[in-house]
Amino acid sequence: MIKVSGLKKSFGKANILNGIDAEIAKGEVIVVIGPSGSGKSTFLRCLNLLETPTGGEIEYEGQLVTDRRVNINELRQSMGMVFQQFNLFPHKTVLENVTLAPIKVLNMSKAEAEKIGLELLRRVGLEEKRDAYPNRLSGGQKQRVAIARALAMRPHVMLFDEPTSALDPEMVGEVLDVMKSLAKEGMTMVIVTHEMGFAREVGDRLLFIDGGMIVEQGPPREVFGNPQHPRTKEFLSKVL
Amino acid sequence: MELAYHWDFSFLNDYGSYYWTGIRMTLEVSLIAVLSGLVLGTLVSFLRLSGLWPLRLIGSVYVEIIRGTPLIVQLFLFNYGLPIFLGFDIGIFTAAYLALTINSAAYIAEIMRAGIQAVDKGQMEAARSLGMSRSLAMRQIILPQAFKNVLPALGNEFVVVIKESSVLSVIGFAELTYQANAIRGATYISLEPMLISALIYFVLIFTMSKLLGIGERRLKASD
Repeated sequence: MIKVSGLKKSFGKANILNGIDAEIAKGEVIVVIGPSGSGKSTFLRCLNLLETPTGGEIEYEGQLVTDRRVNINELRQSMGMVFQQFNLFPHKTVLENVTLAPIKVLNMSKAEAEKIGLELLRRVGLEEKRDAYPNRLSGGQKQRVAIARALAMRPHVMLFDEPTSALDPEMVGEVLDVMKSLAKEGMTMVIVTHEMGFAREVGDRLLFIDGGMIVEQGPPREVFGNPQHPRTKEFLSKVL
Repeated sequence: MELAYHWDFSFLNDYGSYYWTGIRMTLEVSLIAVLSGLVLGTLVSFLRLSGLWPLRLIGSVYVEIIRGTPLIVQLFLFNYGLPIFLGFDIGIFTAAYLALTINSAAYIAEIMRAGIQAVDKGQMEAARSLGMSRSLAMRQIILPQAFKNVLPALGNEFVVVIKESSVLSVIGFAELTYQANAIRGATYISLEPMLISALIYFVLIFTMSKLLGIGERRLKASD
């Protein structure tokens, strides 16, 4: 579904990604871990071109994303993204946050968008908050709305950029639960996270990124249980 | 030696209506200048925030020239200069509205630029990640938030424009200062008519500032 080859990204003189090769199959749940500053968020943000790669290629559903001629807006419609800082629209209600893009981008009727939106809000357990503004929500609730907002576009893949890192500990669970149920339904997901327990439980494959390269990858149980590379060992010994 | 001045406000009986016309004209021209300045200024702020340097340059040149020259000079240029290039008379009204709008737009452009830049970067990213185009995201997500950010500053700009609009009297635009001056000419009383106009300006602006303060607190409370 997604094929990344030789992906490079630098900001000025700083090389963040130094040639990443990865393939993501439909229905796969990929968990990306690594020390901070390793480039794992940048890798994720390159997938939907929030960052413009400085080298290499990304292919998504047979389209070359890194081609200049590609319609980036159309491409992003089928790639949902969830941010660390939620980034809900503060001047819109919860339901409006969820229905805005379907109405304005997919030209869906308001009634249909609200029907789908309410269904999604029910799914993340926030139907009763439909008319609340984001500032009235807790962090966990905000992130669940953000997930519903991304799902409203009926994406083929969901990108999660440290979705629980800005949350109070007691709210991490409710967000991870929503993500688990998504994974169970077969959603293709790429998740950058520090939640090792979650990575082990939900991930089909784990990518360990350090220094802008994939240092090691494999099924989470194998990587966690028997890391091969010294840097993986060092990192895991610190976080586990 | 004794300096005795005989205060004389009797002209108010005959000329009171001059002030009413003046107040109306002052408020009208100021409001219209700020509203059309908001439209023009927002467009200029887009230029200044553009990714293309020629557009940025045009925006900067506009703002710097307007802010770097006195309003009264701009007014003269519009009133006496523009007809020469256009080949026909544009009239005092057009010159006055044009000069005040174009002047105010330069200041509003800077206000809007700051307001847009104050919106969190994640807002644009979230909007774009949902497939919105840059302009759709701007209209739906960034501008409404930016506008809310700058409402107090826009109100302030309105107050400033009310005061600045007194300059329009020099080309014969019949706003408040012009009217006071007209009364002076007709009655040969020089101090009192101006004192009355000063009082009116003060009441207008003081009331406006207080209202803005209340509006601002309401806005903050809703956050």
